[in-house]
Amino acid sequence: MVDSQEMVKKVFTQNSARIDTNKGDAYYNSLFEKAKERLKALRAQPALKDIDMMEVVESEGVNRRDFMKWASATTATLMLPPMFTPLVAEATELMNRVPVIWIELQDCAGNSEAILRSSTPTVDDLLFDVLSLEFHHTLMAASGHQAEHQLEDAMHHFKGKYLLFVEGAIPTALNGQYGTIGPSGETFQEHLARLSKDAAAVVAVGTCATYGGVPAAAPNPTGAVGVMDLVKGKPVINIPACPANPANMVGVVLHYVLTGQVPELDSLLRPKFAFGYRIHDNCERRAHFDAGEFVEEWGDIGAQNNFCLYKVGCKGPMTFNNCSIIRYNEGANWPIGVGRGCIGCSEPDFWDKYAYERPMADANIKAPTGGVEKTVDEFGLGLLTATTIGIGVHAVASAVAGKRTVHSEDEE
Amino acid sequence: MKTVDIVERIEGEAKLVCQWEKNKISDVRVEFLNFRGFEYILKGKAPLDALVYTPRICGICGQAHLKATVEALEQIYKNHNEELIITNKAKLLREVGLNIEIIDSHIKWFYMFIMPDVVKFSNNDYSEYKALKGKKWLEASACASEVIKVLAIIGGQWPHTSYMIPGGVVSDPTLLDLTTMQNYIDYGIKFFENNLVGMEIENYLSFNEAEDLYKVKADLKDFITLSFENGFEKIGKSYNRHLVLGSSLSFEEGKINKKLIKNIDFENIEELSLNTFNIDKSKNSKDAYTWSKSALYANNFYETGPLSRTLVQNRKFISSVHKHYKDSMFTRVMARMDELGFLLKKTKELIKRVDISEDSFIKPKISINEFKHGLAEVAVEACRGSLYHEVEIEDGKISKYDVITPTVWNLGPGIDGKLSTSQKAIIGTNSIEKAKLILRSFDVCSVCTTH
Ligand code: SF4
Ligand code: SF4
Repeated sequence: MVDSQEMVKKVFTQNSARIDTNKGDAYYNSLFEKAKERLKALRAQPALKDIDMMEVVESEGVNRRDFMKWASATTATLMLPPMFTPLVAEATELMNRVPVIWIELQDCAGNSEAILRSSTPTVDDLLFDVLSLEFHHTLMAASGHQAEHQLEDAMHHFKGKYLLFVEGAIPTALNGQYGTIGPSGETFQEHLARLSKDAAAVVAVGTCATYGGVPAAAPNPTGAVGVMDLVKGKPVINIPACPANPANMVGVVLHYVLTGQVPELDSLLRPKFAFGYRIHDNCERRAHFDAGEFVEEWGDIGAQNNFCLYKVGCKGPMTFNNCSIIRYNEGANWPIGVGRGCIGCSEPDFWDKYAYERPMADANIKAPTGGVEKTVDEFGLGLLTATTIGIGVHAVASAVAGKRTVHSEDEE
Repeated sequence: MKTVDIVERIEGEAKLVCQWEKNKISDVRVEFLNFRGFEYILKGKAPLDALVYTPRICGICGQAHLKATVEALEQIYKNHNEELIITNKAKLLREVGLNIEIIDSHIKWFYMFIMPDVVKFSNNDYSEYKALKGKKWLEASACASEVIKVLAIIGGQWPHTSYMIPGGVVSDPTLLDLTTMQNYIDYGIKFFENNLVGMEIENYLSFNEAEDLYKVKADLKDFITLSFENGFEKIGKSYNRHLVLGSSLSFEEGKINKKLIKNIDFENIEELSLNTFNIDKSKNSKDAYTWSKSALYANNFYETGPLSRTLVQNRKFISSVHKHYKDSMFTRVMARMDELGFLLKKTKELIKRVDISEDSFIKPKISINEFKHGLAEVAVEACRGSLYHEVEIEDGKISKYDVITPTVWNLGPGIDGKLSTSQKAIIGTNSIEKAKLILRSFDVCSVCTTH
């Protein structure tokens, strides 16, 4: 099985890494000093949860060496230079200083499920043991009125300090009556407003919370929108994908613990460390794309040989996400690994734009945004255009290749 | 007296509105107040797009929705005399995927949803079951994560994969993949043996009478002990009518209303919305209080789920437990955990039967979009019970998509003075804590119920 942590590190430390995040020594030196101060201050604070990360790590049979290996891969994932590795390791131990409140709105619980997937003995999962999850609708011990009080307590106690994780879209039609919560029948919209008010930052997890997701698919019967459409005057971090990758949730929290700041974001408020490049850039089938070797239909010779899935509708060339490196279920696999093709689940409108039926070459697809952010979007658009031209050539080449295949079968 | 309670720690939440008389619940309403409108969203979409949409109805039973969609689309071919060839290999890989999802859900349900509430009934120290921190909770979470990798290997990820397509599956596992899958299942089997029942799985599966309950060890024994201490075998009884709409290599279809009948006719299924909110507010009936609809079979409410499946299949151990304790909260939980053992063994066998030299996918001769009109009804067994999809296509587009989930059968509102399955089970209970347990014994999922 591929060691996804190793893969992450390899990709991010190679010279040809596509997204240029090197901001120069002066920048990193000052960030380094800042992070050191920050960690010192955090350490002085009382732990919210008396779990010792290193104890957990050791009790789960992960040795110090493996833990440091993990820390260095994670440093790379966060697009920080190697000198930050000891600080990242230290930050994991201080994750129990940052309170997290997790709420579910118009969702399918898929992202919570994905977190549960992040299991032992990988360090990512251990982080969730240590993380001070003050409130989680589905997983917490309390329920009913008791849960309600727990939420009030957490909000009050950690005023201005907690990270609010939101899973699910927010229905706005019919005065929000498509989704209400708790004994008072508060609408999801009111609930979000009340909880985000005193949050340090709001993290929208999954494509529903970021862009409205499947509930917002045409005709959007409930008027579903994402968190960033409603929460203003407060840092919002989007971690789209359906489901979002737990590694990226951990990354955001770690970055916050380390620097006290939100990571650098693109115009869609996605952390660049995770969404700064496309599936296609690091896809294991990329060599076949470049060689013009395509799966023409599922189950054919190309499929059996893991050829590129572009012609059966893969949206990898226009999808910004890191699942080609991190993969899913602890690196067990990912969609392209089983020959399904990417459906662009981390892009806005994927549900209506990128779904199965329309192979990319025919789709009327624009770059994700015309917004202010330059590098990522223009980069994407530029490559996309190149890709679209490229496909003409490839199509011819693979048609010829396809004929050859049929021919040799005949001869057998 | 009227009380309103919230049941969380399910997917979404449910509101339990109880009427009390002489310290007993005399009437109850289960309200689901969250709605997304999948059936409206699917209208007008290309049929194959449904393969991406329906798994997202639910983050815990997406495979069941995927399988229902793919089989419905294949049914449309069949109805046009264009029957597709689905190889054994593809059939097996689909069923393995679905079974793994059920296995995963059962493990989590016991440790994350039922036990944290059950142990509250005892004064003894059961802190190992504590949510998010307890040793048993964490071990169960780890086991579920390992087992679900069986599905990730063929599906690419979980939750939300779309590896099934009309004509087969897109994945083509190697022998190494199949062995890896078996290793992950073995992890689940070890967990079942060491943590849940405290004995070898074969030994457990040879149980055939209620007395064998006393042989169970480990965590399931904790549940059994706590149940008899608190009378859980006496609460939660409903109509004792059971329905299994789907059949597969693992389950048989049938219904029990006094006696067992193995034939199921979809004609008898009826979906009503007298107490359901309407998306067009002006059409709301004055009795509307939930987004869930009501489902009836031959004009009756039926229970669906692991207990029903066990009884229709007549698996000895639970059938005998059921003879003693009827459709109680206790029997329902036991049936679900029993099914976990049954499916672990069954699914391992299914993986062994996969012949990698067969095709995974055989392309349909024509595109589904070429059918002017098509109609299909299918049912599959999901973790919580029978899942039904009805699809209609018109000029290559979906014109109607109707989903009836297991939770609608069990937890939808009663109508016309008839109590629904869960209402009937809750009425008469003398404490709200017990009422919540009864509700949980149906394995509540709010998002599926309302979709
Ligand atoms: S088109 Fe898809 S399968 Fe092909 S190389 Fe790009 S991301 Fe990979
Ligand atoms: S490969 Fe594409 S569709 Fe699949 S999870 Fe990654 S971004 Fe989403």
